Amino acid sequence: MLTQLDALYLPHHWYLDAADECYFGGEYTAGQGYTYSETNQLILNLKKKMERRGLPDWGYKARAIRQAAMNLREYLRPQFLASATFVPIPPSKVVGDPEYDDRMTQVVQLLGENVDARELVCQIESTLEAHTAETRPGPRTLYNNYQIEESCITPTPSQIAVVDDVLTTGAHFKAMKRILGETYPDVPIVGIFIARRVPGTE
Amino acid sequence: MATAPLATLRAISPLREMGAYEALWAKSETTFTSLARKFREAPDLLPSDFVAEYEAKFFADIVMQMLRDSGVKQFGIRVHRAGEYPKKLRDAEDPVELLYYRGWWDLVETRSVAVVGTREPSAQAVERTSKLVRLLVNDKFTIVSGLARGIDTAAHNAAIKAGGKTIAVIGTPLTHSYPKENATLQERIANDFLLVSQVPVYRYSKQDFRRNRGFFPERNKTMSALTEATIIVEAGQTSGTLIQARAALKQRRKLFILDNCFQNPSLSWPHEFESRGAVRVKEYEDIRKSLVPDVNPT
Repeated sequence: MLTQLDALYLPHHWYLDAADECYFGGEYTAGQGYTYSETNQLILNLKKKMERRGLPDWGYKARAIRQAAMNLREYLRPQFLASATFVPIPPSKVVGDPEYDDRMTQVVQLLGENVDARELVCQIESTLEAHTAETRPGPRTLYNNYQIEESCITPTPSQIAVVDDVLTTGAHFKAMKRILGETYPDVPIVGIFIARRVPGTE
Repeated sequence: MATAPLATLRAISPLREMGAYEALWAKSETTFTSLARKFREAPDLLPSDFVAEYEAKFFADIVMQMLRDSGVKQFGIRVHRAGEYPKKLRDAEDPVELLYYRGWWDLVETRSVAVVGTREPSAQAVERTSKLVRLLVNDKFTIVSGLARGIDTAAHNAAIKAGGKTIAVIGTPLTHSYPKENATLQERIANDFLLVSQVPVYRYSKQDFRRNRGFFPERNKTMSALTEATIIVEAGQTSGTLIQARAALKQRRKLFILDNCFQNPSLSWPHEFESRGAVRVKEYEDIRKSLVPDVNPT
């Protein structure tokens, strides 16, 4: 079952506020923490660098993508799957970059043939990955680097689910919500994450 | 706060579940057994399904305030059927639907053993505890105990001293520590390791210590379910530790009893438990070969 980001955990994701509706599956202990849980394994495999392509551990990434999609399908009732538009948060590297990683696009595409999954937002330029960047970009910086993929804007969604692997500060969700809200002012937008980052871990 | 689709997602609100759990416990007739029965009869329901939304909010607000007032800045909860709730807890006879924690939840997924015993140990028992814990830490086990006086305290301290990991499953809510002199150790475990409590904050504050004592044996059952094995260092004939011993066998966990317990002629429990499947431990290897059969003997 998903957990709603309510007032108990909201303060851990400091760009988010009570008007943001976000849900997560498990919890991911990053970096200096302990890393024994299933969720940690899933996220680490999901985030496996593209430079590992072709190496023996590469298969874990493909498996993690399928697992993430299966988890999401379990969390979402058929009614939601059938009516929502699933939008992956764009990867930090743009198409053409050797580290371009469309894992979240693959995840939402695996949700089902009749599921509306669209790469509605893309990045203008590659950025450092948030979890390796010295200073994490805020929502404004991210927003300025986002653009709407005009070729996918129709039909207008009735409900948007922004999907990402890990909810950290909430900056990406906030930037996505802003740019999508400009295109679709009346469409409710929720965030759905495979996991949230445990507070105090980098 | 939610605008839309809680109904079309399978999702829980942790704060609402916490408030609902506290509201259920606010009724004087509620026990772990009565709650477990409720959820056994309706396995698809959550605490919030039994409590009006305003009532859950009422208790959530009170309990958040109590936690803040007691100096608990950050804590989390685990709810049955939501993310990260450990399946192994369902092996308990009356499994907990919700629990509170502080610290590194991830430690729950490590291989762990409970080291428990009397609150009034002999000097040798304390020494045995430290030695045993050092060996277990050396074999990468997380040491779980109940933060009580005596063996529990020795087990946690030895684990930390040996550079190992430790989990405390306490019989008070997060707002309290017992005994008081363990407040610092509790804080250390909450910051660097993991502190777990199933005890409802509000109910605990409303009843006297005689009734609150009843929470201690309940946490022993949870401690057993959380671990692969329970090791008893020293315990009297009427010790609360024996509650955990019974729970361990019922939950199909391994139970180890140190040899010295058998040598005390006034105790019959070691023999009773041995006849029901407990392992008599003459040397560490007796534990090791059972828990780490794939490892060569030291």
